[in-house]
Amino acid sequence: MDSHYEVEFTVRGDDFLAAGEASNQIKETLIMLGVPSPISRRASIITYEAEMNLVIHSGGGSLRAVITPEKLTIQATDRGPGIPDLHLAMREGFSTAPDRVREMGFGAGMGLPNIKRNSDSLEIESEVGKGTTLTATIFFHEGPVDRR
Amino acid sequence: METGIKIIEGSCKGCVNCIKSCPTEALRVVDGRVRILSDLCIDCGECLRTCREKALGLDEDDWDLIRSHGPTTLMADPTFCAQFSHYWTPGLVRKALASLNLKDLFDETAKAFDLAAFATARQIEEASKESLPLISIYCPAVVRLIQVRFPELLHRLVETETPLETGTLLWRKETGSDEGVILVTPCSAKVMLVRGPVGREKSTMGHVVSVKRLARDLLAAGPKVDGAGLEPVGSRWLAWALRGGESRHIKAFSKKNITTMAVSGLRNTIDLLQDLELGRLKGVDFVECRVCDLGCIGGIGNAESRFLSELRLSRQPIEWAVTERERAVLSDLYETGIWKLEQPIQPRPRPSLADTLDEAMKKLKTMQAVYAELPHIDCGACGRPSCMALAEDVVRGEGEITDCVFKLRERISVLGEEITALSGKLPHAFHERKHTK
Repeated sequence: MDSHYEVEFTVRGDDFLAAGEASNQIKETLIMLGVPSPISRRASIITYEAEMNLVIHSGGGSLRAVITPEKLTIQATDRGPGIPDLHLAMREGFSTAPDRVREMGFGAGMGLPNIKRNSDSLEIESEVGKGTTLTATIFFHEGPVDRR
Repeated sequence: METGIKIIEGSCKGCVNCIKSCPTEALRVVDGRVRILSDLCIDCGECLRTCREKALGLDEDDWDLIRSHGPTTLMADPTFCAQFSHYWTPGLVRKALASLNLKDLFDETAKAFDLAAFATARQIEEASKESLPLISIYCPAVVRLIQVRFPELLHRLVETETPLETGTLLWRKETGSDEGVILVTPCSAKVMLVRGPVGREKSTMGHVVSVKRLARDLLAAGPKVDGAGLEPVGSRWLAWALRGGESRHIKAFSKKNITTMAVSGLRNTIDLLQDLELGRLKGVDFVECRVCDLGCIGGIGNAESRFLSELRLSRQPIEWAVTERERAVLSDLYETGIWKLEQPIQPRPRPSLADTLDEAMKKLKTMQAVYAELPHIDCGACGRPSCMALAEDVVRGEGEITDCVFKLRERISVLGEEITALSGKLPHAFHERKHTK
């Protein structure tokens, strides 16, 4: 019933060297659990983009993955500046990343669209000045992961 | 599943030096004997370099046995021609081999390497911007590393078959021969081109021996050869023995200016693939990775020092300008598709903890609990490369928590205290008897 597995990581803001570590660990966990490769690939895109958003925009936050036999939920929470216009933020190529971030090759405005494309459902709650919570879900459609 | 590495039973002293060298944590030393987890092994050969007891070796065929069976045809790796100070061009090596009654396939090899470079240049030209950079498949250890650790990068691998295989195929097509061909390999990874190729069902080469083994024979025989009457042999393929040679070759066939990146060494390879996975290699068209230092000449199966080989190769006169005639011949061969991998390369994910997600989650929780108990210093004394690896082995039923010397000592100390406590509880009568004696 309450069978689930959970991992949580703290992501530091502006730490571009460590960026990708949390999503990597989540990926390793999914592999250990035997989540099929197409699903773990989608999950790793979502976690990576969400982690990068935390690093670039929020000043840091947490990244959490919850796995149950039915679905995988990825949640990114921060107390950053919030997203003033969510509709605009979802548009491909729209970015508020500063130039120094763009020079490193990040902040191309593809983060949120990429997350949306790879998740079965996506919820974003954001309040300007308070922070943002992003919840992306992937359902294991073909019944709970059964391999071989 | 097979690996390109052979364990020499009886030589292993159980020293655990090798387990830390493995980039995929595929080695265990249990009950004083080394074991390879073939699901994880990428055949890179790092463990062979660290083993002082020579308990790990290249899984090659018995050269003496092969020779005793009559005429022998060799598909030699480009590194082979960089092993000798006195036979320093393919033409001279050919003469030396012929004097030992060994047949080379240098002409077909030269053509196959040209064809591979030609075909890869075409793939780069035809690829969409998002699918660049493409990745070389020439180093089989890199291919396996990607299958095991970077499955997201599999779609970037070029579809070009290794020219060592294509060269053999070209020779078979031209001569109609089904005679056995022996691959002369510089490393454990290329052993697998014969034993368990990736991207095709079966190799058309039947056997494999190391460059070292063959070079030793040739040096021992020491045939005297001179430059008289040498036939010209193409030499671009020799460049592939060095890091960057493949990229240079591809550029020679590219219609436009392409950007390539070449790294060698296992750590550099992993770092570069990580950069690639994180999307940091924008503007790069082709990536060439070799797990051995300096390229294939750094392979564990070579006889000569890699530094001397490098020096020798850098002095080889190589004609990079491609003639129109060459291009026309290659274009025709390209159309036949002989250069192409038979099958797409599949991921090789590490085995999950259990068959159902539910069971796997339970085991993962237990694994975390076991790990929390361990000292987290990754000392290797248990025969596993890390405390996490021991925790994993414990939940997979392939180890005990007391394999950890620290846990064992803890248990002994607890047991010792219990014994002391018990010894204080000797029956009264026993004390009495002791005094009266």
